[in-house]
Amino acid sequence: MTAALAVPPPDMPNPARLPAGPALLAAIVAVNLLGFVAPVLNLLRLSFLKVEAIGTLRQTFDLSSWHAILTDGFYAGLLADSVLTCTLITGLTLVLSYPVALLIHRCRGTVRTLLLVMVVTPLLTSAVVRTYGWVALLYDQGLVNGVLMALGMSAPLRLMFNTVGVVIGLTEILMPYMILSLLAGFGRLDPRCEEAAQTLGAPPWRIFLRVVLPLTLPGIALGCLLTFVLALSSFITPKLLGGGRVFLLATEIYDQAMVTLNWPLAAALSIVILAMFGLALVLYGRLVRRIG
Amino acid sequence: MSPVIRILSGAALLLGLLARPAAAETVNLMSFPVLFQERYTKAVIAPFEKANPGIKVSYFGLPSSAQMLGTLRAQKAAPQVDVVIMDLAVSKAGTDEGLLAKLDEAEIPNMKDLVPEARRPELAGVGVTFDNLVLLTNTDLVKERPDSWYALRDKAYAGRVAIPAMPDIVGLSLTVILDKAEGGQDPLKDVDKGIAALGTIAPGVQTWDPRPEVYAPIVSGQAAIGAGWNARAQLNHDISGGKLAAVLPKEGSVFQANTINLTANSPNAAAAKKFIDYALSAEAQKAFTEEMFYAPSNAKARAAVSPEAIDRTALKYTDRMIPLDWIAMAGRRDAILEQWRRRVIPLSR
Repeated sequence: MTAALAVPPPDMPNPARLPAGPALLAAIVAVNLLGFVAPVLNLLRLSFLKVEAIGTLRQTFDLSSWHAILTDGFYAGLLADSVLTCTLITGLTLVLSYPVALLIHRCRGTVRTLLLVMVVTPLLTSAVVRTYGWVALLYDQGLVNGVLMALGMSAPLRLMFNTVGVVIGLTEILMPYMILSLLAGFGRLDPRCEEAAQTLGAPPWRIFLRVVLPLTLPGIALGCLLTFVLALSSFITPKLLGGGRVFLLATEIYDQAMVTLNWPLAAALSIVILAMFGLALVLYGRLVRRIG
Repeated sequence: MSPVIRILSGAALLLGLLARPAAAETVNLMSFPVLFQERYTKAVIAPFEKANPGIKVSYFGLPSSAQMLGTLRAQKAAPQVDVVIMDLAVSKAGTDEGLLAKLDEAEIPNMKDLVPEARRPELAGVGVTFDNLVLLTNTDLVKERPDSWYALRDKAYAGRVAIPAMPDIVGLSLTVILDKAEGGQDPLKDVDKGIAALGTIAPGVQTWDPRPEVYAPIVSGQAAIGAGWNARAQLNHDISGGKLAAVLPKEGSVFQANTINLTANSPNAAAAKKFIDYALSAEAQKAFTEEMFYAPSNAKARAAVSPEAIDRTALKYTDRMIPLDWIAMAGRRDAILEQWRRRVIPLSR
């Protein structure tokens, strides 16, 4: 039925050949050129400019920003730390979001709506407010440490102003995106397949590993891509919860652009982060093709 | 009143309104937001507008000098901003890029009363306010007011120290102060002793990136002790009902200056120069010092400021101030930042 609908009736003109077709396309092409391609090209140009120690920008060609990124061990470490931290955040977000998404997928009616509203509601509050919420919970005299101390712990745990805080904050902030992506990718998960496996005598863990997990892989891939990209580009949460100890690409770009006034280096790092996004997209594309 | 007279008087009133000179010019001033904006408007802008009814000053607040420089760069072809008050080192970059116009004493007579440090030939603008680094304490958590920067490494406050690390200039200033305290000779050559001293403070540091600024976490008691700028510390002291104390320790401190600048090709240059001249006057500088505790750059204002306000600025302790050339120091900044990242921050993990 759906396949039949996908083929247009012979008398319907091909939309691409409509006279208005290119014109309709022109709008989105123009938006993309102006809003994305042009600024990125400008960033690329900026990354090859010369900057003096005090921040003076000179309109002369200079490779020192790229030279610094490629030869200074600090930037290699920064890249590795960023990828590792964001991979950890993506993994944790997946583990915590998957059961929630599965539950929502299986619920019907009001319960499903209620659960979906609960997932989406945090997105209505800005990440800054939510991060400050975590500050109130995680700091030395905060709720979490208060409970732990009441239970007999001698000294407060260092839960923020370090990588732990950044991981906790970002995991919670990115969970709604992961849950929604998982739900979007759960289309192939048919309860009848699970029932079939059950009638054939498979124990629950095997049903999960052999039936549910493979069928939900597209959702997992989409959720991980989105979470990883959002984690890598997030800046407010690492800035507020990192305590100046967690060096990530996004926070370094901010420091170089806004504090040190080294715009070429900030531009070059922005290109690096963009390349990382491109790489993540390529990996995602390959994974989806393999799953398909 | 007959209807004819009523219509005539109405028309006359309307004509009168139309004929009244409208605010002829607007000076667009860009500088720091919130507290600075509020106090500067009260102490300097309002009296200026009162004395010059034909000129209106429109204030545009941005949180950092770097963002102001970014705005000037973006508007280079068609500037919207006439006057900018920003950090001295950033204004050097603005001068070098031709974004700022050189101020001329013939047009801005009050420049002649400025202290020599406020007038640097390599800058287009001139110094308008001076601030200095202070030791900050929460008065509930630090009962006895410390008199030394080394209170930052006191075991009693371990885990509750807040210091904005480099590249923030608080970090750079603290490096220079500690280097001098440890016997360092010239921060432009090396600051090894300062870095080593910071290494002894690092293990007790709670955050190297206090947010939104260093003052709030200390007022709230999340941190007990830290380093920040005097003027904002004094204001936060007043606003918080004395929860925050600012101390200029015996080892001394450094000045940081903000400059006032005219943008190149300012659309309202004549009115802008008039405003800059007023901002540099003894009257305006005295009022702003008494309002926000920045030290003035006008020598006559320094003599006129009330003793209570003087006590809360670095002017009381000029003998403790360590000379620091911010423009020359900028050339050393990357090297010192690297030392922070290798030899200071890792000690606090």
